Amino acid sequence: MGEDELAAEDERPLSPAEALKLIEDQQSVAVKRMVADPLLFYGPWGLAWLVGFGAIFLQSGLNGESYVPLSKGVALAIFGSCLLLAMVTTAYHAWRSTPDVRGISRERGTMYGLAWFIGLVAMGAIGGRFSSLLSAPETGLLWSSLSVLVVAIMYLTGAAIWREWSMFFLGMWLALINMIGVAAGPGWHPLLIAVAGGGGFLVTGAVLRRRWGRADA
Amino acid sequence: MPDRHPTGEPTGDQTGDQTGGAGDAGPNEGRRGGAPGHLPELDPVIHAQARLRVVTSLYALPEGDSISFPWLKSLLGMTAGNLSVHLGKLADAAYVEIVKGHKGRTPITYIALTRRGRLAFEDYKAAIRSLLDAAETGQTS
Repeated sequence: MGEDELAAEDERPLSPAEALKLIEDQQSVAVKRMVADPLLFYGPWGLAWLVGFGAIFLQSGLNGESYVPLSKGVALAIFGSCLLLAMVTTAYHAWRSTPDVRGISRERGTMYGLAWFIGLVAMGAIGGRFSSLLSAPETGLLWSSLSVLVVAIMYLTGAAIWREWSMFFLGMWLALINMIGVAAGPGWHPLLIAVAGGGGFLVTGAVLRRRWGRADA
Repeated sequence: MPDRHPTGEPTGDQTGDQTGGAGDAGPNEGRRGGAPGHLPELDPVIHAQARLRVVTSLYALPEGDSISFPWLKSLLGMTAGNLSVHLGKLADAAYVEIVKGHKGRTPITYIALTRRGRLAFEDYKAAIRSLLDAAETGQTS
């Protein structure tokens, strides 16, 4: 078929019902292509926190007695690998799914990405200054509570940028369990973050995915 | 103490009758401000399969964003030539804005729905709905 014939087919008049159906179908296709499945972003982080903080908890124990025959180095390596894996997976999905868009969204995304970077660097500077002054369990608690704080604030901020209440509730939830965990001490914090934090990510991802699946609504 | 209405119909419903009764207009007619018999006309720039798909896709972007030509082309599954023709018609009506930019050193075209285009699409959707409503009430009466 030549271009002219294609163009002629495109000009075929539509009935109102056909037009409405076409709008709904195309809207659903466009949204699905422009916005990636949210579970692909929340899921990996939920699992990483569950396994990573879980490994730290099992190694350090509630009262300083380890539940598993793992050295501290191995537990930290598991933790680090989980986070790295989550970062790579989500970065890949973001790269694959982000449409080639210019304008307001791109500026928002750039500033938000930089905010993550700045927050984490600042956290490193503060944590590095104080960690040498603390006992080993307290040092671990300082680092994990600082990082959860940064994550919580970034989710609250992201929610404000994209007007996403589920994201806001996740940020609020992370800030809350972080405070409770810090008050409860070095044994409890990783347990709480693994279960309630990792679980929070998974629940948020599932909620957002359900809505994404009905994007044509 | 008021008695129950013998037929079971709710009492005190007088206010609801004020708009009814005059003429034989159905309950749905005139809801969108159009008098019966004056069905809205569909914007011919949008009311064609390919351009309707283009406009619907661009409308899915947040206002203030534009999308690259290759991305839009792959989303729609149209040929470059065909898409260009339709974008040209939309641009003539000032519904889309076509901006030539660069990505690295390769020239690339970005397309966005203008404010006018967004409004035209919203009007079009409203017109389609009222046509469908009119068809429905026409069938049931």
